[in-house]
Amino acid sequence: MNLDPALLARIQFGFTVSFHIIFPTISIGLAMFLAITEGLWLKTKDPLYLQIYRFWLGIFAMAFGVGVVTGIVLSFEFGLAFAKFSQMAGPAIGPMIALEVLTSFFLEAGFLGIMLFGLHRVGPRLHFLATCMVALGTLLSASWILSANSWMQTPDGIEVVNGHVVVTDWLKVVVNPSWLYRLPHMLAAAYITGSFLVAGVGAWYLLRGEHVAFGRRTVSMGTAFATILIATQVFIGDILYQKMLQLQPAKMQAAEGFWDKQSESPAPYYWIIVPDQEHQRNRFALGTPVLGSIGLTHSLDGRVEGLKNTPIDRQPQMGWVFYGFRVMYGIAIIMFGVAVASLWLRWQRRLFTTRWFLRLLVVMTPSGVLATLGGWYLAETGRQPWVIYGILRTIDAVSPVPADALLSSLIAFVCIYGLFGTSFVLFAFRIIRRGPQDALKARMVYAPVSGNPVPAE
Amino acid sequence: MDLPLLSALFAAFALSLYVMLDGFDLGVGALLLAQSDEQLRDRMVDSITPTWDGNETWLIMAGVALLAAFPIAYGILLPAFYLPLIAMLLALGLRGVSFEFRYQAESGRQAWDVAFGFGSIIAALMQGFIVGGLIRGVAVDGERFSGSVFDVFQPFSLLVAVSVLVGYMVLGGGWLHLKATRNLRGFAERSLRLTTPVFVALAVATCAAASYVQPGVSDAWTSHPVVLGLIGLLFLSAAAALMQAIGGPLALRPFLLGLVLFALGVAGLGVTIFPDIVPFRMTLWQAASASLSHVFLLIGAAIVTPVVLAYSAFAYRVFRGKTPDTGWEL
Repeated sequence: MNLDPALLARIQFGFTVSFHIIFPTISIGLAMFLAITEGLWLKTKDPLYLQIYRFWLGIFAMAFGVGVVTGIVLSFEFGLAFAKFSQMAGPAIGPMIALEVLTSFFLEAGFLGIMLFGLHRVGPRLHFLATCMVALGTLLSASWILSANSWMQTPDGIEVVNGHVVVTDWLKVVVNPSWLYRLPHMLAAAYITGSFLVAGVGAWYLLRGEHVAFGRRTVSMGTAFATILIATQVFIGDILYQKMLQLQPAKMQAAEGFWDKQSESPAPYYWIIVPDQEHQRNRFALGTPVLGSIGLTHSLDGRVEGLKNTPIDRQPQMGWVFYGFRVMYGIAIIMFGVAVASLWLRWQRRLFTTRWFLRLLVVMTPSGVLATLGGWYLAETGRQPWVIYGILRTIDAVSPVPADALLSSLIAFVCIYGLFGTSFVLFAFRIIRRGPQDALKARMVYAPVSGNPVPAE
Repeated sequence: MDLPLLSALFAAFALSLYVMLDGFDLGVGALLLAQSDEQLRDRMVDSITPTWDGNETWLIMAGVALLAAFPIAYGILLPAFYLPLIAMLLALGLRGVSFEFRYQAESGRQAWDVAFGFGSIIAALMQGFIVGGLIRGVAVDGERFSGSVFDVFQPFSLLVAVSVLVGYMVLGGGWLHLKATRNLRGFAERSLRLTTPVFVALAVATCAAASYVQPGVSDAWTSHPVVLGLIGLLFLSAAAALMQAIGGPLALRPFLLGLVLFALGVAGLGVTIFPDIVPFRMTLWQAASASLSHVFLLIGAAIVTPVVLAYSAFAYRVFRGKTPDTGWEL
């Protein structure tokens, strides 16, 4: 069997990075939620907030752990699988990730122990500071990594000398053209993800009639945060869309599913397509008539640019880009609907009793994770065939590692990550089934010697 | 100012801290397999739980500093050590998630402890294989690794791998000597009495074998006989002092002397390969990025590293003293 090392390297990186991003998305969102919840506890002294904090801290700790160990892999995978990319772009990417490690990984790691185990050792105020430092660490981490990734999307501030990147202006490298738009987009995505997680679990308790006070408070908090954030995200998303249309036209052409240089007028909005890259056409396309013109050109008969505007050897694969975008966008529309419904029900004072809405919240629990993954598929597959847009092709970036070694490591990653993912989900379900009353006990199973666990406050 | 040299010093600093700090974490993990009492295993894991994450972060710091400052070496060495690095990363992952998952697992804690132990052992061994491969030298063609990914698995590398593992167990035993009480303290003393002489013997064997497999190492002995001789002498004295301190009233002493052993080991390796970044093939100046990359890295490191060290020390301080029998309370 003849396997292509370049393809295997891409599948391996794609798999490991997709698996990884799930967990930081959750922990960025939950860290901020925990900081807000602990702040509210300190301000109001309402023990319900402490219970909410402790319950979500358990799930946060697991998500953080998986995120850390899968993230370490990525920092080495640049060199393991894409040695040429590292050698060329290391001078620009490397210092940014080094600053990420210095300003955020250490911050998170240094205060995580205190956050998890230190409440009685340092007291509530210093403990709140630790929670805030962890939340700040996740935010800084997102900021640096978005800077590095955005530089790969829209490189600036460098020149290429003898096949190596030479930085000429760090400000332009870090604050590159797409970073300012993509960072708030990702942060809002992570905070929305956290909000739907929190609201979904609360709704599940309310449907079962268990832990009602906890359920009501978390449904209320989750839907309130989600409503504010999704409204913000619609604006950020729209601005980012217009920006990427200028910066990476090929990506946005692929994202809408049109091939011809100018689409028909009025243009439909496609929901399902079966693209045929080889013949530069869709074998099948299903959409809503006229909606494309309205949504994408803000007119009744506007035409949309298709992928044929980009030379074939510079085109991304339309299927990945299109469906990445549709998954993200489709979920965002449903989230918007949920947010509107939550406002109406809150105003009607039926937010905690409307069963169809609570069921919908339960279904939406993992929606933020799926939408974020969709968005990253849009971003990363839409940049292809480039690894550094316009500068280095992915195919030229691969390491001199034989296909067999790559295949073996890919299989090992799938097995071990499968174990991580399954265990995470099983343990998270168990924490949820046990309920918030046991949240303290769950972390205190360590105490068989001295008898009863120390009661909460 | 010699920017690549400063960057190399920073990377070496990060790597040394990693080896010393995660070294004792991995050593405690490896010793977990030798401990049959589940409550004592809980205590062992508890002793490293609040601070392990920061310790492991120094590995990322060293790796990323290499990427930032010496991208050419990074692009040669990582493919060369593809297999041990992948195995190390998976093993570290398995060990890392075990911290949380063994908490959550009610009936399956023993299985996660086995994963924890094997994860620690494999990670330590693979790090040793990589050091062994570095000393033997990697095949380079221009800026590209030109050997086979299996080159690293040689008898000499196996010797280094076992030395690193046993060395980490000395550090881990020293840490438990500091943090444990009663039965577990006895366990720490027994393991230190066993692992310390074995580690010294393996370290001496590694030095002898290194001069044999790599002419560059014997050259280093001829060009720096005093420094390397002094390092060797200090190493042996520290090991003897460590043996004396086991079970003594100063609970911290064996751990500190273990750290000294590793600091001397890293220093010896540094003196031997300096000024190469791909040992005996490429100097750090040949592999360096352009100067603005060093400036950015070094300014960031100069400002942030003291802060990092300060709050990391604070975290250790919060969890100072003996590990409580009941686990860390929330």
